[in-house]
Amino acid sequence: MTSSEIPGGTAFAAEAALQPRRRRSFTVARVVRGAAPYLLILPVVVTIAAILGYPLYHLARLSFQKYGLFELIARHGTNVGWANYSSVLHDQVFWHVLIRTIVFTVANVALTMGIGTLIALLLTKVSSVVRVLLTAGLVLAWAMPPVVAVQVWLWMTNYENGVLNYALTTLHVGDYYQHDWYATPFSQLSLTTTLIVWGAIPFIVVTVYAGLSQVPPELVEAAEIDGARPWRVFKDLTVPIVKPIFLVLTSLSIIWDFGVFTQPFLLIDQTRINASNELMGIYLFEEGYLKTDFGRGAAISILMLLIVAALSVFYVRKMVRMGDEAG
Amino acid sequence: MRARRRRSRFVWDAIGVLLFAVLSFPVYWMVASAFKPQEELDGLTPTWFPMHPTLSHFSDAIHRPFFWHGVKNSLIVVSVTVALSMVLAFLAAVALAKFRFTGRKAFIILIIGIQMLPQAGLIIPLYVVLARYHQVNALSGVILTYMTFVLPFSVWMLRGFLLGIPKELEEAAMVDGSTRIGSFVRILLPLVAPGLVATSIFAFITTWNEYIFARILLNDQSKQTATVWLSYFTGTSRNTDWGGLMAGSTLIAIPVVVFFLIVQRKIAFGLTAGAVRG
Amino acid sequence: MKARFFFAAALAAALAVAASTASAKPTGSKHALASKITVWLQVDAQSGWPNLVAAANQQFQAKHPGATVDVQYQTWGDHLSKFDATLAGGNTPDVIEMGNTEMTKYMAAGAFANLSSQKGSFPNSKNWLKGLAASGNYNGRTYGVPYYAGSRVVTYRTDLFRKARAKVPTSLGQFTATAKRLKKQNPKRGFSPVYIAGTDWYFAMSFVYDYGGQIAQRKGGKWVGRLESKKARAGLAAYKRFFNAASRASKTGTENRPQPYDVYARGQAASIIGPAWFSCCVGKKYTKATKQFVMPSHAKGKAMPGFLGGSDLAVPAGSNDKSLATDWIRIFTSTASQRGLQAKGNIPNATNLLGNSVNERAAKRSWFVPTAKNWVNVENGNVLRTMLARILTGRASIAEATAWADDNIALTLNQ
Repeated sequence: MTSSEIPGGTAFAAEAALQPRRRRSFTVARVVRGAAPYLLILPVVVTIAAILGYPLYHLARLSFQKYGLFELIARHGTNVGWANYSSVLHDQVFWHVLIRTIVFTVANVALTMGIGTLIALLLTKVSSVVRVLLTAGLVLAWAMPPVVAVQVWLWMTNYENGVLNYALTTLHVGDYYQHDWYATPFSQLSLTTTLIVWGAIPFIVVTVYAGLSQVPPELVEAAEIDGARPWRVFKDLTVPIVKPIFLVLTSLSIIWDFGVFTQPFLLIDQTRINASNELMGIYLFEEGYLKTDFGRGAAISILMLLIVAALSVFYVRKMVRMGDEAG
Repeated sequence: MRARRRRSRFVWDAIGVLLFAVLSFPVYWMVASAFKPQEELDGLTPTWFPMHPTLSHFSDAIHRPFFWHGVKNSLIVVSVTVALSMVLAFLAAVALAKFRFTGRKAFIILIIGIQMLPQAGLIIPLYVVLARYHQVNALSGVILTYMTFVLPFSVWMLRGFLLGIPKELEEAAMVDGSTRIGSFVRILLPLVAPGLVATSIFAFITTWNEYIFARILLNDQSKQTATVWLSYFTGTSRNTDWGGLMAGSTLIAIPVVVFFLIVQRKIAFGLTAGAVRG
Repeated sequence: MKARFFFAAALAAALAVAASTASAKPTGSKHALASKITVWLQVDAQSGWPNLVAAANQQFQAKHPGATVDVQYQTWGDHLSKFDATLAGGNTPDVIEMGNTEMTKYMAAGAFANLSSQKGSFPNSKNWLKGLAASGNYNGRTYGVPYYAGSRVVTYRTDLFRKARAKVPTSLGQFTATAKRLKKQNPKRGFSPVYIAGTDWYFAMSFVYDYGGQIAQRKGGKWVGRLESKKARAGLAAYKRFFNAASRASKTGTENRPQPYDVYARGQAASIIGPAWFSCCVGKKYTKATKQFVMPSHAKGKAMPGFLGGSDLAVPAGSNDKSLATDWIRIFTSTASQRGLQAKGNIPNATNLLGNSVNERAAKRSWFVPTAKNWVNVENGNVLRTMLARILTGRASIAEATAWADDNIALTLNQ
């Protein structure tokens, strides 16, 4: 299993197995091969460790300290053990926010992955002109900074002269004159969902389409010539190639959507945020930063990390196992 | 048979065009607003199309202090980050996808774990670390920061793409059974080109639009990136210059589109698949 | 071969970055060599009065040859996060502009240098505006120097008022009657004689103070919410009456979305309440027909106390050049500089400099938020906004809503 992943490794392993007692001579070539993967990952590990090593340690330590503005200025916190974690876990607001965020994440990820994959498949079916057009539209949507997208959304849903109210009223869908789209938490979070899904779809489409284009057309042609139906071709050729990418995208989407901050914070606006519409990312910001309680904020960060890990473990495990399988 | 295929293609095309209209409407709204004169922007009823287009907002935006600095700094930061990250991530992804070694699981946990951390929690400790190495108020500090966040998901994505390459293709390509790293990587590179391009586009856009860390780390306005420059439109306690903001945003989006146009050929959006050899 | 090249290039790049890191010149504010002070001002100065900043810098450099000033402009949204980061990193600026409501929290945490001993040396310090000076004081010590202020006024359409044969009202009652007449004459859907966002607590609390009430009080070492008092409740009742008569804005809406001057520019309001600089952005159509007056009290002839907004200048405790920093502030708040700010429509920082503009007249009677170090948390928790929304929508009686608010305020302030 292992050796088949290394080119020529089969022969190599066989040779080693035949002579178990022979002392391994450390030829240069063998050392390089053994060290190869470590050398390959070394730059990444070094970069990450150098920059994030101390901050991660500091974050963990902070979660066990009382560290407000006073302590920030004195550059010294006081140890309080599990008090921060206890206070967060005993906060009813925390649990409401958690459930709300999980529901929000599921909705966003489902919509993003669903619509994104469908559009990627659509791209394989349209004529090249439409394909370029649709891709251009997606890239333009992707290129808009979230901060600007929020402003455009606010503008379009403006309760005074927003184009959304105007269009809905003119098309006689109902009387949406001066309808306040930010009056209820459900409405606020739904609009946030449209914004996030709109911004996330291009990435999914481009990546899935990239995966689809890794499907070699000669194999597809060969299968079709052999008489395989399109469904069979899809199931046996396309899915195995796209599956790992799909799992990656889903796991990433869960991670990102769970901790999303910029869009809901700017769209709903700080003056309307309260316990009934907070999402986890915003809860962290409010408790940690606005209240300048960095110790509590660190505890919430660690808790978020654990929760997100639990939510995405299914997909991550599948991805890891996929690398273990042969072929 | 041919007629049916043409009809179904027509249906797909129609859906495609409709989707294009819906998805790009907000972008259209932003660009159109950038051309509308102030009275039209303030008006009670929104206009679908700029009635009297004007370039004044664009010239206002360009003449705002540090516009060109912002563009230049963003280009430097993003190109270096993406270039370095793609190389390093690809190598690490090869290790993860093609080798078995002790510490593999630990590395995977590191890669995934970092992405699960809420970035907001890391801002201040990161600032302290960078300040110690004198990387505050320096583009190199921003580049290093961006790389630490771009590398994990890039490695993760590229590993996904590498795992997706059918074994037959790999083995067919390695005719001489060579086992040296060099030729190994050389063989995989074209097979995974579409994945590399998709990942680089994502890295480019994410870093180009990043705001929080750039804002905190860069003090001199001459060193700030384009997104920070853009934030000054909404930063005063006075009114927001909407036309200017829309015009500025439109200008800032151009390099991203250009980058995409340059690299998209590898994903064969306009033509047929490019993974074929021979 | 190609791959090896890639690999080598990547390693080289990583090493180069690491090397440049090691040899980078120090960029912190440990300026032991040349004297350089870093000043953080808000972008309002950059766009509004850059000449005053330049003049102050010139004067400073003439007085201290060899010293340089690095002015870095900040935005209101994130300047505190940036300040926190510099506090943690030990490289704070030497002078920082803070909003007057932002001061208390940082003063209580020991972020600023004590300027009490030099208070007399600042220009016009004997006549500093009470509201503004109070925001720079904590526990009897001075930490902040008043920079400039702004109060709230009524910006109105002279043409519409003329049509309704209304003069500038001298009492709340008169204003209400005018509002009713304006509504009759402008029955268009959504038109507000006085556009007020429901949860505009800056305006609503003016009514509380006008009737003699207050938000919170310090009693026996603890903070107590005072909105339940009879006087405060009377003020809130008056606010509700005025809102219902005069405003068609959303009862749960905020005063920043939409911006009142945008509503005004669209012709959907006969008057708006807000900072005096609102007159800049009322739209080309109505610029000529726009004037301002002071919001009248319920008592005839008096002004309703207005919220005094403004900025202070402080010297972070970690600054290495406190004397230079203090001198820069002294130069920047000189009488000449204040006159310059006044000319731009701001309120100067001392009573002897006050002129007769509507803005300045409104500042004569003002109120300020409780000077508690946790007050910012009450604001960020939107306690007052939620209370007002409940009162206006009728979801709670004034008695219930104020009781809830007082509990929350006490809880938060005493944390």
